[in-house]
Amino acid sequence: MQPNTPKRDYAMFDADISGAVLNLSLLRRLLHWLKPYKMSLFISGILVLVASTLQVLLPMIISLLAIDHILRGTADADTADFGLIELNTWLAQSLGWHPLLAACLLYGVVQIVSAVTGHAHRMTLIGAVIKGLRDLRLDLFTHLETRPSSFYDRVAVGRVMTRVVNDVEALFELLRGLGALIGEFVPFFVALTVMFAIDAELTLILLLALPILGLATYYFRSLTRHLFRQVRQTLSALNQNLQENLAGLQVVQLSDRQTYNLDRYTQINKNNRDYELRSARVETFYGSFTDSLSHAAIGVIIWYAAGQVADLSMTLGEMVLFTQFIGMLFHPVVVLGEQTNILFRAMASGERIFQAMDWDEKIHEPHTPVKLPARLAGEVRFNQVNFSYDVGTAVLKDVSFTIAPGEKLAIVGPTGSGKSTLIRLLSRFYDFADDQIYLDGIDLNHIHSHDLRRRVGVVLQDFHIFSGSIYDNIALGNPGISMDRAIQAAKTVNADAFIQNLPRGYDTTLTERGNNLSQGQRQLLAFARVLAADPEILVLDEATANIDTETELLIQEALLRLTEGRTSILIAHRLQTIQEADRVLVLQDGKVAEIGTHQELLDLRGLYYTLHNLQFQDYDN
Amino acid sequence: MAFGVSRFFEAMVPFLTGASINSMIEGDYDLTFYILGIIGAVILRYGVVTYARYSVRKVALNVAYDLRQHLYRCLQDQGSEFFSKHTIGDMMTRAVADISLIQRLIAMGTILVVILVYASLFGFAAMFYYSPTLTLLLLPPMPFVFWYAQHSSLHMGVASKNVQDRLSDMATHVEENLSGIRTIQAMVQEQNEIDRFANTNQHYADAFYKQSRVNSAMEAWMPTLASVCSLTILGYGGYQVLDGSMALGDFVAFFMFVRMVVQPFRVAGMIVNLFQRAAVASDRLHDVFDLEPEIHDNPHASAPSMISGKIVLKNLSYQYPDSQAKVLHNISLDICKGETIAIMGRVGAGKTTLLKQLVRLIDPAPGSIYIDDIDVRNYPLAQLRVQVAMVPQDPFLFAQPLKDNLTYDDPNRTLDEIWQAVASADLKSTIESFPDQLNTLVGERGVTLSGGQKQRATLARGFIRHAPVLILDDCFSAVDTETEEHILSELKRLRQHQTTILVSHRVSTTRHADRIIVLDEGQILEMGSHDDLVVAGGYYAELERVQREGAEDEAFAQARGSR
Repeated sequence: MQPNTPKRDYAMFDADISGAVLNLSLLRRLLHWLKPYKMSLFISGILVLVASTLQVLLPMIISLLAIDHILRGTADADTADFGLIELNTWLAQSLGWHPLLAACLLYGVVQIVSAVTGHAHRMTLIGAVIKGLRDLRLDLFTHLETRPSSFYDRVAVGRVMTRVVNDVEALFELLRGLGALIGEFVPFFVALTVMFAIDAELTLILLLALPILGLATYYFRSLTRHLFRQVRQTLSALNQNLQENLAGLQVVQLSDRQTYNLDRYTQINKNNRDYELRSARVETFYGSFTDSLSHAAIGVIIWYAAGQVADLSMTLGEMVLFTQFIGMLFHPVVVLGEQTNILFRAMASGERIFQAMDWDEKIHEPHTPVKLPARLAGEVRFNQVNFSYDVGTAVLKDVSFTIAPGEKLAIVGPTGSGKSTLIRLLSRFYDFADDQIYLDGIDLNHIHSHDLRRRVGVVLQDFHIFSGSIYDNIALGNPGISMDRAIQAAKTVNADAFIQNLPRGYDTTLTERGNNLSQGQRQLLAFARVLAADPEILVLDEATANIDTETELLIQEALLRLTEGRTSILIAHRLQTIQEADRVLVLQDGKVAEIGTHQELLDLRGLYYTLHNLQFQDYDN
Repeated sequence: MAFGVSRFFEAMVPFLTGASINSMIEGDYDLTFYILGIIGAVILRYGVVTYARYSVRKVALNVAYDLRQHLYRCLQDQGSEFFSKHTIGDMMTRAVADISLIQRLIAMGTILVVILVYASLFGFAAMFYYSPTLTLLLLPPMPFVFWYAQHSSLHMGVASKNVQDRLSDMATHVEENLSGIRTIQAMVQEQNEIDRFANTNQHYADAFYKQSRVNSAMEAWMPTLASVCSLTILGYGGYQVLDGSMALGDFVAFFMFVRMVVQPFRVAGMIVNLFQRAAVASDRLHDVFDLEPEIHDNPHASAPSMISGKIVLKNLSYQYPDSQAKVLHNISLDICKGETIAIMGRVGAGKTTLLKQLVRLIDPAPGSIYIDDIDVRNYPLAQLRVQVAMVPQDPFLFAQPLKDNLTYDDPNRTLDEIWQAVASADLKSTIESFPDQLNTLVGERGVTLSGGQKQRATLARGFIRHAPVLILDDCFSAVDTETEEHILSELKRLRQHQTTILVSHRVSTTRHADRIIVLDEGQILEMGSHDDLVVAGGYYAELERVQREGAEDEAFAQARGSR
């Protein structure tokens, strides 16, 4: 197997995607996650039709039934009334009520049924889409969680996080908007149908107002889009400034920068207010324009209807009905305007989400992985290992050495000499060529990375705590590790004492960052975790952080016990650790400079000797 | 006032509509007067309402502006005592959420209250004019509309907060998970973590669903509740029309008036909640506004413009306001001009507390610290801090270019000065390796520096000032020994004649000092030169031995015995 890594453009993850165009293929891909819930969506579609029709019936009861039929008796037999009048007459007769009272009953019932079906529609729709987006988010997370280290070396965690949290969130917002649009547009079309049936000419005249409204809305949106962005930007600059000033307040005070900083804040605050004022002006202009337009439309209806009613081609009730439909006709355009920004934002988010999902970088796994024996002896052999992260800059050059089963090897060397790379390769965090690293004579590339990692216990410098109890953090979901075994492991590595002192012992809940533990305690806990898992190979990247002397001693003792009889590779920073090792490997510029026991290397008077003296020069004179 | 006028014009529309219907029924189809009236009313209302709304929003924005300025000013004068009680996150909430709540209350709240008053006034007056009995019949449902609106907006608030909380849970979960991704993969924990995330994800979906349900229910029941009014008009009004005591045009106008009156009632419930929340927000803001500056400044006190660097501590004791025990007990110490003092001691020995009092980050008791024979409390703060430069323990860098960070105290420093300070702090080659060099942006959106690099940057920030007194509070902990050696020799070279006080845990650092002070539980345990203290065979000598030899079995036994 030859590593073949296509050149990848990681900058893509930093790029801004504006999503200015309506991308239909994106929507089609999104629909894929809704497929499992299509039954709910179908039911929801039927419900919204029912609810909208009922909603349109309400003004008809008042105008056509009550005004024309009951109050004036001038109902036009040609007018589409959906059998309202007949139903009411039948209702009044069978109940023995006055028709007016029956109309009241009808009105009440229609209102309630319409409310219930509307509610049911919204909930089925939202329920289905939430489930779809939930699945989408989980799939995205799963995909990202299984990307290899090489990916996370290049892409900031914040960027990846934004995709999972904010971008999917934008789709949730889109859902809210979608619900609102459906709730507006279905009644719109039902009302439109009825209006056409009653008076096509008047309907067309009223529809003329829609382009005006649409234009006004469009103009307003394009004016405010820019302003809103400025408002948002200045506001976040404002908050960022304050936040940073508070976080670094000590430095601010020590540098006597209060006045200067206040001036800067004032400037941003002013900017923000100016943009806010400008957008307020535009918003108020537009805001009252829409309801004014619908009021004006009433005037138009009356003016038109006056002629019609006079020659009896239109009834009074029909005219009233038109005035009541105005809202249903105009409001959807306004809502549509509100939702376009959200739609475009969601487009950009969708693009970012799929970009992450399509990122197929992964570690190569063997087609037929070698099945490892229950217990490995633990011989590790590096055979002329050459490795580079980027083409051209070799990090490891011809590195060859063998560690015998149970041997302890300390690796030392200046920063950047390739120490960390060495241990990363051993856990197969990166792809490398065949025939370079062997475990008990098996080429690492023939072992599945998961199988391999179970045999190689790694303690990294940045120790990660999983949220859960101390016990959970030692056992890590391995059913083979009982509480007893966990306690035993903790005792061996000197962690038991501090754990027992915690309020709830091994059941104490840890927060993910482990804020309730000190550096040293976290190191001990990491040891316990590895010991409980009992891997054949131990890899330790020793922490460089300052730890108080007492804990330091506990850690050294624990390390001795941990490495006992276990093949161990230690990237050592402390002299103590180096001296405890069987052999020391000195790495320089990716090459093995020296290898041998502590004493042998000292006698060699080479690089190790210098490194060793450098650390000691303070005390020797 | 303008709102009243606009409501009057708004009421004209149904009134004229009703009138035109009545006129049509009477057979008069010339409605020019009415229609022109409607159009006129609409135009006038548009002008007035736009003006009025804009004015109110302007007031709200100005109030928010002033509140922000005031809050910023108040917070700038706070110190460690304040931050021991409040978190930055808490302050940010006040600055962001609380101020915007008050802004919204003014912008929306006032408008809605005024609308409510005038709409009811004109609406009910007009309806009363048409039919007093029917108007009275319409009153009973109003409180219910109001109550339901308030009730559901409360529910809405709870549900929305829940959604926000679950979302921030999820953000935390993802962030922490991804930062630990290497350990997760090394331990083959991917599947477990995915399962755990599925759980967090589900919680969020549930919260979102719940919020949508509250929302949808309100959308369903609010019109239903309001339709009781329509039913009343339909039934009673219809009866009156049949009976001839009400004109049909009035009947239609009633429907329109009811909509005008009910609308504000629906939002009135929310306004009550908005008022309540804004009142809480205002209290929270005033908590901060009422604070006194933690350190009292005398900007006009007279003090030497250039100090020599002689420091005297006289029986210095300190006790934190909320604590039972003293952190420092009667410390007396004379530091000569040009001396280098190293302070050692366990965590909690009082080292930082002592240093902070020298620059008055916390205030010492009067008469306990003198610089150049003047009580530090008598220096204007600005003058004191310019001359006594302190580099705090936490290497804080602003999310700004490196250059701005290094010249934070004085943005006018020359490039030459900057590079010299950078070289002394051994940060030169690091900066030269960045493509943007000194203009490199630091922080999340720029280059993330390692702990050691950050420490060296803050050291450079200290060096650049060439202050008569320099205080370094444990600034070498993340720097490796070799680099430390270089910086210490630079320190010696640059500050030969100036006073330097540094805190360290490493003997390799302290050994260079003229005098070493070992603090223990707020008292001076040992004091003297490195050689003296090693010979004396006390705590320092023991520390020196452990650090020199590394830990041996004997040290194990001792360390454990001493616990």
